[in-house]
Amino acid sequence: MATYSNMMLCTAFIMLLSLCFVSSVQKKKDDTLGEKVQQLMDWNNKKSIIRLNSETFRQYVRTVPRNYSVVVMLTALQQQRQCSVCRQANDEYTILANSWRYSQLYSNRLFFAMVDYDEGPDVFSHLKINTAPVFMHFPEKGKPKKGDTMDINRVGFAAEQIARWVGERTDIQIRVFRPPNYSGTLALALLFSMIGGLLYLKRNNLEFIYNKTFWGMGALAVIFAMTSGQMWNHIRGPPLMHKNPHTGQIHYIHGSSQGQFVAETYIVMLLNGAVVGGFVMLNEACSIKSDSGKKRVLSLVGLAFVAFFFSLLLSIFRSKYQGYPYSFLFK
Amino acid sequence: MVDTGVKTDIRSAMWKPGGWQSLLTFIILALAWIVGFSSRLFAVIRFESIIHEFDPWFNYRSTHYMVVNGFYNFLNWFDDRAWYPLGRIVGGTVYPGLMLTSGTIHWFLSILNIPVHIRDICVFLAPIFSGLTALSVFLFTREIWNSGAGLFAACFIAIVPGYISRSVAGSYDNEGIAIFALMFTYFLWIKSVKTGSLFWSMLTAASYFYMVSAWGGYVFIINLIPLHVFTLLIMGRYSRRIYIAYSTFYIVGLLMSMQVPFVGFNPITTSEHMASAGVFALINAYAILKYVQSFLTKAEFRYFFFLAATGAAGVIFLTVVGLTWAGIIHPWSGRFYSLWDTGYAKIHIPIIASVSEHQPTTWVSFFFDLHILICAFPVGVWYCIKHVNDERVFVVLYAIFASYFAGVMVRLMLTLTPIVCVLAAIAFSKTFEAYLKDETPKSSTKESGDSLENKNDKLYDKVGKTKKVKEEKPKDQEGVGMNIKSVIVIALLMILMLFAVHCTWVTSSAYSSPSIVLASYNQDGSRTILDDFREAYYWLRQNTHEKARVMSWWDYGYQIAGMGNRTTLVDNNTWNNSHIALVGKAMSSNETSAYKIMRMLDVDYVLVIFGGVIGYSGDDINKFLWMVRIAEGEHPKEIRESDYFTPQGEFRVDSAGSQTLLNCLMYKLSYFRFGELQLDLRSPAGFDRTRGVEIGNKNFKLTHLEEAYTTEHWLVRIYRVLDLENRIQLTSPNKPIPKSKRKSHRRTGKKKIGHIKNKPKVVKGKKSKSKVK
Repeated sequence: MATYSNMMLCTAFIMLLSLCFVSSVQKKKDDTLGEKVQQLMDWNNKKSIIRLNSETFRQYVRTVPRNYSVVVMLTALQQQRQCSVCRQANDEYTILANSWRYSQLYSNRLFFAMVDYDEGPDVFSHLKINTAPVFMHFPEKGKPKKGDTMDINRVGFAAEQIARWVGERTDIQIRVFRPPNYSGTLALALLFSMIGGLLYLKRNNLEFIYNKTFWGMGALAVIFAMTSGQMWNHIRGPPLMHKNPHTGQIHYIHGSSQGQFVAETYIVMLLNGAVVGGFVMLNEACSIKSDSGKKRVLSLVGLAFVAFFFSLLLSIFRSKYQGYPYSFLFK
Repeated sequence: MVDTGVKTDIRSAMWKPGGWQSLLTFIILALAWIVGFSSRLFAVIRFESIIHEFDPWFNYRSTHYMVVNGFYNFLNWFDDRAWYPLGRIVGGTVYPGLMLTSGTIHWFLSILNIPVHIRDICVFLAPIFSGLTALSVFLFTREIWNSGAGLFAACFIAIVPGYISRSVAGSYDNEGIAIFALMFTYFLWIKSVKTGSLFWSMLTAASYFYMVSAWGGYVFIINLIPLHVFTLLIMGRYSRRIYIAYSTFYIVGLLMSMQVPFVGFNPITTSEHMASAGVFALINAYAILKYVQSFLTKAEFRYFFFLAATGAAGVIFLTVVGLTWAGIIHPWSGRFYSLWDTGYAKIHIPIIASVSEHQPTTWVSFFFDLHILICAFPVGVWYCIKHVNDERVFVVLYAIFASYFAGVMVRLMLTLTPIVCVLAAIAFSKTFEAYLKDETPKSSTKESGDSLENKNDKLYDKVGKTKKVKEEKPKDQEGVGMNIKSVIVIALLMILMLFAVHCTWVTSSAYSSPSIVLASYNQDGSRTILDDFREAYYWLRQNTHEKARVMSWWDYGYQIAGMGNRTTLVDNNTWNNSHIALVGKAMSSNETSAYKIMRMLDVDYVLVIFGGVIGYSGDDINKFLWMVRIAEGEHPKEIRESDYFTPQGEFRVDSAGSQTLLNCLMYKLSYFRFGELQLDLRSPAGFDRTRGVEIGNKNFKLTHLEEAYTTEHWLVRIYRVLDLENRIQLTSPNKPIPKSKRKSHRRTGKKKIGHIKNKPKVVKGKKSKSKVK
């Protein structure tokens, strides 16, 4: 009987112990999860984007017990990497993370983090990523799937697009709040104050406002900018020029009539300006008060400008527009 | 320019220069009209007298309706053939000026007993109006500069491709008459600013009313004229003339424009029109100030001015903000907003961004449409600023703003073109004036007058005449010298000749395709006409039920309604984005879920455009991503653009393409039975010529649709939507229902088939217990 009771006690003890152990394991697990979340929250309080390195990335993003989603931007922001896209992406990402950090819905369900290549190269190698920037979502449960890598080639990396993608993946809708861009307003204010200051300084001599050349130059500048396709550049953002990777030859002129390079539009602007200059010279040659020799030279130079630069423009057009049959002076 | 040196010359006086001048002007304008009209006829001569493209078909259909049913029925027309099941109130959603114009011409001709079909009037309306445009540009330029420049401008506008692109014969659209109305309104405005007479400003308002009834671009007028007035105020050029002109124009124009049903109360409730109201308030305030100034001392006036200015500005600002906040003034509509914030449309309104004419403009298309004029017109701006007066301020503002708008949207090249013609004409006219003029008073005025005529014809005569002048005056010490002068004149004339040749080439090669009849050229130069569109629409008209509903992408809505006379779900009047998105969703879902949508929308036929056989690039597969995008905008849960790309982010229809794409309705309808078709021996069966690949999903069957008709070159394919299938498919009705059927009816618990309680169990080979007892 005694042995029996002893045994009972023993079993009970063991059971208790094991129970204790199990619960402590459970507790430890809870603790680590809680600690992790706490740690992340702490970091997040300091900065809206959590900077991770290889160590912390493994600990907080890849190890399993998680009850939070992490969106990670894998990027290369170091100066020597020369990744200008990364910097733009970083700006947009910061806007999004800030919107989340200071939104009404802010909770510990979602964290925004980033890994810089120079701080955690093995993260890149582990995820088999060799480009930057990449946006990845690590869900609460399971491994990232196909859609958990954002397709920035297609949708771009505007904060709104990232927010939409995050909303799709996590069902957390973030309303992007862009800090109002004061730079434009500031530049405008600066410009106006400069103009105002200038006017004030020259208040005794305001002749230049009535200077027609000044206003004419301004009007022509706007017109040249528009007719040479600067607005297209602004909206589409083409490269400055194209360098052929095989031959190393630099193309300033886009081959098709559907596109253009930035350098090309400047060339066209100059050509337009030169033709206009030629016309003005032609007209001024007749009206200036000078001897006939000077007049002749001026008018001939004007004509040369018009004819030469116009035919140059025509031949650039001809090279872009397949099958255009006409040319002037030279092909 | 013609008046120079006339007084001293007795011979010229004998020739009555005034008479010659009018005759020349008249002849040149008439020639410009004829040349402009004829160069727009390429499409009619090559094909036939038909209406082009998409929107003109709707305009033609409404004109036809108006001619048949009368104007009031047209204004009250509810079109149940469009936007099924919603319908469209056509009378209230259309600018009726175009229909009224051609209706009036038709009425007038029929009064004169000249029987002309309304279609021919519609086809030739735009070329006829191009002549009127040339006339009004001439008048405008004459007011701005002189009549020599005016004649140049008229000749330029008659043949410039930027305007021809919207006014070839058959392109029966609002722009065709709107450019005339635009330039004529501006001419009258300039006239009323110059004279300050009530008469001219009333005429301006009337012309503005015509413009409002014709085209949505009237907003350009109602913003540019206030801007002109505002700039004149700032420049200190305020005068009573401007006050009279603007107040009259604004009030009368406002009242008249509100008579157009489609415009209604917009002029007093939308932000687009607020600038004109603001300037009206401002010019009145300024006039009051001027009045008060006349009986106040300087110090008093300064105080009064300060008080009034701040007070007025504050009140106006608060009113506008308050009204906007209260929702009485609507903010800018999306289309206008996208003109200022250029990234707006792409993010928020894909349906605007999807239209190719809403794209920004490259320098190539500027040069293509305007050639030498684009280089020459800044010269005109330069001299207008150098010799500024009230009306030249207007021209400069017009040039700057129109070039900005043309840069943002290809389509707005149309508003830039007239002013480019005007300013380039000023540039050329000024140059020719300087170099054709003889230095001695003995020069003949004929030469300079003649030079204007060169534009389209007689270019060779010109050279001869200038030579004659050169021979007469070989020694010239004062000026540039005759040799140099003639060289310059000849060079400029060659450039202008090149311009004329360019215009004709562009018109002939780029802007004269009706786009509903395609032409392809064989290697020997012979021409093949592909008339698949009309074939398909005629099939619809003849072989389907009158009330049949046809689903297609919105591009073809007007054509189906116009040529096929069948009900459509969506059309080119893209007023209901969610309806379009529903069609887009049906096209991009798989067949089963598309069938649900099609049942819901009562679709009887589905029409797709497929260019894979002949290599036509504007087909539905190439437009497909826009359907997906628009559908995704409304149904983000079901449709996702990324599903239609390969993992590498490519859009491809071959076997590497995404499975969602290869199984969606649009793919299946386009490529149904295409896998069996081998176009030539070098390529495999099912080789898509447009995209240059062999298609990925070849052998599939359609379950809910059947092929109804495919045109000769497979360009248009029509499918019939089948009825719902019967529920139980009895393969052979005579057989008894198989036993397994019963199993499915097995029930559980109490609802089992009834049985007897305590039923004696019979065990074989044993006697029952009861028997033992």
